[in-house]
Amino acid sequence: MIRFDLLKVGNPPRVTIAEDVRVDLELDKITSIASNGDKLIAETWLDVLLLQESSEDDIRYRQEAVKDALAHRDVVLKMYSIAREALERVRRETFIFRLDDPVIVVYEASKGVRIFVDALEKLLAILRSTPSFTSEAFNGLVSSLTTNIDERFISFTRRISEIFSFDEGVDFLVEVGDYNYLKNPVLLVPKKKESLLSKILAFEKGYRYKLDPRDEAGVQILYDIEKWALSQTATTLLKAHNKMKRFFEDLMRQLSFYVGAINMSDFFERLELPKAYPEFNHTTFSFKNLYCLSLAISKLGKPIPYTLDVKVDGAFAVLITGANKGGKTTFLKSVGQSLLLARAGLFVPAENFTIPSPGAVYTHFLRGEERVMSYGKFEEEVRRFRNIVNSVKKNDFILMDESFSSTNPVEASVVAENVVSALLDTGVNVFYVTFLQDLIYNLIKHYKEKIVLLVPERLEDGTRTFRLIRGTIQPGYAIDLWNRISKSLTPHPHSNTA
Amino acid sequence: MGDLGESLSFIEDSLRVGVVEYKSILGGRGRKAEEQTVQDLRIVELLADILGGEEDEFLKSLYLEQLDSEEVAVFRLSVFQDLLRDEVYGAVKDFVSKIRRCMKLIDLEKDVYEQHKIGFHLDATLIYVEALESFYNSLKALKVGSEGLTQLLNYLQDIVEGAYFRSMKEKAYEARKARDEIKVRVRIAGDEIRVWKYDGGENLSALIEEIFSIFKEGEEEEVRYIKTVEETSHVHAAILEGAFHVYRREYEILKKFMEDFPVIVDEGVASFVKEVGFYLTYIEYMRRIGKRGYPFSIPSFTKDGSMHVRGFYNLLLAKSGTVVPNDIDTDGVKRIFVITGMNGGGKTTFAVSLGQLVYLSKLGLPVPATEAKIPFFNSIMTLFPVGEDVWESMSRLEQDVVRALKILKQANSSSLVVANEPFSTTTSDEGFHLAKLFLEELHRKGSFCLLVTFIPRVASLDFVISLVAMPSLEDPGKPSYKILPGSPPSEYTAIRIAARYKLLYNDLRGVLG
Repeated sequence: MIRFDLLKVGNPPRVTIAEDVRVDLELDKITSIASNGDKLIAETWLDVLLLQESSEDDIRYRQEAVKDALAHRDVVLKMYSIAREALERVRRETFIFRLDDPVIVVYEASKGVRIFVDALEKLLAILRSTPSFTSEAFNGLVSSLTTNIDERFISFTRRISEIFSFDEGVDFLVEVGDYNYLKNPVLLVPKKKESLLSKILAFEKGYRYKLDPRDEAGVQILYDIEKWALSQTATTLLKAHNKMKRFFEDLMRQLSFYVGAINMSDFFERLELPKAYPEFNHTTFSFKNLYCLSLAISKLGKPIPYTLDVKVDGAFAVLITGANKGGKTTFLKSVGQSLLLARAGLFVPAENFTIPSPGAVYTHFLRGEERVMSYGKFEEEVRRFRNIVNSVKKNDFILMDESFSSTNPVEASVVAENVVSALLDTGVNVFYVTFLQDLIYNLIKHYKEKIVLLVPERLEDGTRTFRLIRGTIQPGYAIDLWNRISKSLTPHPHSNTA
Repeated sequence: MGDLGESLSFIEDSLRVGVVEYKSILGGRGRKAEEQTVQDLRIVELLADILGGEEDEFLKSLYLEQLDSEEVAVFRLSVFQDLLRDEVYGAVKDFVSKIRRCMKLIDLEKDVYEQHKIGFHLDATLIYVEALESFYNSLKALKVGSEGLTQLLNYLQDIVEGAYFRSMKEKAYEARKARDEIKVRVRIAGDEIRVWKYDGGENLSALIEEIFSIFKEGEEEEVRYIKTVEETSHVHAAILEGAFHVYRREYEILKKFMEDFPVIVDEGVASFVKEVGFYLTYIEYMRRIGKRGYPFSIPSFTKDGSMHVRGFYNLLLAKSGTVVPNDIDTDGVKRIFVITGMNGGGKTTFAVSLGQLVYLSKLGLPVPATEAKIPFFNSIMTLFPVGEDVWESMSRLEQDVVRALKILKQANSSSLVVANEPFSTTTSDEGFHLAKLFLEELHRKGSFCLLVTFIPRVASLDFVISLVAMPSLEDPGKPSYKILPGSPPSEYTAIRIAARYKLLYNDLRGVLG
């Protein structure tokens, strides 16, 4: 049996809130580069990016295959186009639109089988002349194809399409059943062309009946009998046809992921983005010069990169706060996108990228219209968060962008603190863009090193760099500020002596 | 075909050599029921339910025939006693459906080509042989007790042990074996059909299946062959002809079988199958009603005019809703029942239900009750209001009186009269007097009567058994549908309802201040 699996995704359920993640992290921009207009690639990429489950082993399996595909890009692209062309030809040239006429089904299905066999032969020819793959994934494909498809298969399949061109008539075995109705038709391999002698013998032994030329009803009935005789074989042949079709669809779908990787790699090179294959380290979450891929795609250039290094002991939370337009949401996106690419086994736009675990990524982003305070909106937010909580697990990542800001900051902080504390204690990692000061203060006080606070960098002279740097809380800062400012406004007693 | 038919029956007579004659499973026939009774007791509706949409005029006519003979009713009821055993019922039903299929084939045989005719004939025979033998054996093993089925068993034994049947069976098996030998290779090419003996060619489907097993399985569609032509066409016949051409010996066997055994179904068997439908239809009906939790019982007939019916109910209501069962009792001294009580309390339903029960008993059928001991009435008569036309109220009263008098003329000590609110288009005083006259005469004749009326005084006649439609215990404003012996109520439902709405004198005063 032909078995291969270039993706190791099984029949993947996407994460429960896949649509939110897709929108929040601008995945469509990313898949548009990978797919280059090919819908199948985009679809496969989304499937793999949004996987609910992805183990370290599976990720490494795909990483190796991605590297292999980039190294053998011509072969991968050629295989992909053979599969695509075969499927397209079958779609164009065969018409199995109804299943109640076995004669038509058999005729059309055998046409399809012929097209697929041609494609299989081409595929085998390419694989036989290819310098060897190094990844388990591609080697598995090659060996499964070459061991299963042999000369007998090819030649028999060709013979089938000959038989079902019906030049030789239809031969079938039949018995006489109840009521003398004909029963149990079994389609037979037609007899080889008869010799003159056997023709004479057959003439003696056999029976011949020719329809009267005016017998139109007879023609109909004969066609019906033909359908009847072919009905079982029609199912079998259609099944054979569908099996081959599914094989090519499967192959094409799996290859499409790697074709997308090739396209993406080309894009990285064009923009001179760094390319890192993510690594795993249970005590580290770190990256150097990580770029936001969707932003790079939008502006067709390199945005400001981020660098971060977190010592991990259990779960951690990164809180990002500070003035607007400081690149906070872009930071969230770049982290989220790269986590997804990492899980997919793809390279990420960074100089290095190390993560503690391949957890799933969930997003809870403030939506435009939610920038209004109302309990209705708040309830909506809470409900949406509730959805995430239903499926989130230890080691997953939740990216929150101004969550719970549709109510006043005091209330919101209490809710957020409850939520974040619960997540952390469960082992879920949190990235949270927030202005909620109570929240930040309390979390840092309670969780200490587990909390990383990031703030936009400002130079001494007040210019923004759009980088994020580590910040600290300053207890009493506001009081200080108050005192300071009130003091600054109070005239100095000594200077009042004009 | 006429000549042939005669010669066939001749062969049958000469070969079957039976000594036992078929006696009808119905035990005897009755007399057409009174049109008026059928209408008033809603027998037509009941019949439609029993027949369940089956348009069988013969059965319908049987259900409209009231038996005069108690003996025949008992004969039928004892057949029912047997048939109510699941195994007996199952065996009979199975037999009937097989014989019907066999007869259908024989009927179709006339219209098909020779090549098919011999096949139809053989299969009709095979079905018949199997049906008869297995029915005979199971009936014998089941030890039926009724006269009807016992005489059938004897009759069947005579057939299956007869020479004609035994040789027909033997030859039919031989013919089938011959037919099973036939295996041909057919080739259809253009407008030509070729037929050879099968020579061991390779199965193409199996080959394809094997060669494509290297690919993964998936969900598969089935190519459906939808037959659009008769399988008995001339082209099918031509292929068969080809098969017979290369299997000559087998063909001869099939052909000879048909020639040797032209008649398959015994006439008595055919009659039984037709008549037993009377029982089967009713049992199926009983099962439908039974599924809703309502029982039937086999009535027994009293000689002394006593009547004890327990838990009888209305069949027309039972088929779709819940019904409240009731009892009725008399030792036979008092035979006039007067039913009074609250409106919508089930008085008419009570009377009609009992009327239907008696009607069914006079067909020799099980009745809708847990127990029924009743006289074998010789007639059921009804006095129901006709029409509702107010302008003809005078003539309606006249009609009541005319029909009442007709009934009195015919009534005797084994008549049942069901009267529903007669004489109601006059004052209650006059109505009372008419009812009194009517009932006194029935009483004098010793007739049985159920009379529904809203004139309470009628119930106080001394020769009358008074029955009352009772209110619900939980909510006295609602009926319980129980009809019990007792005096007509002194308080009326309508007044209670008015009280609830504070419309009685004192309340109204209170409200009005």
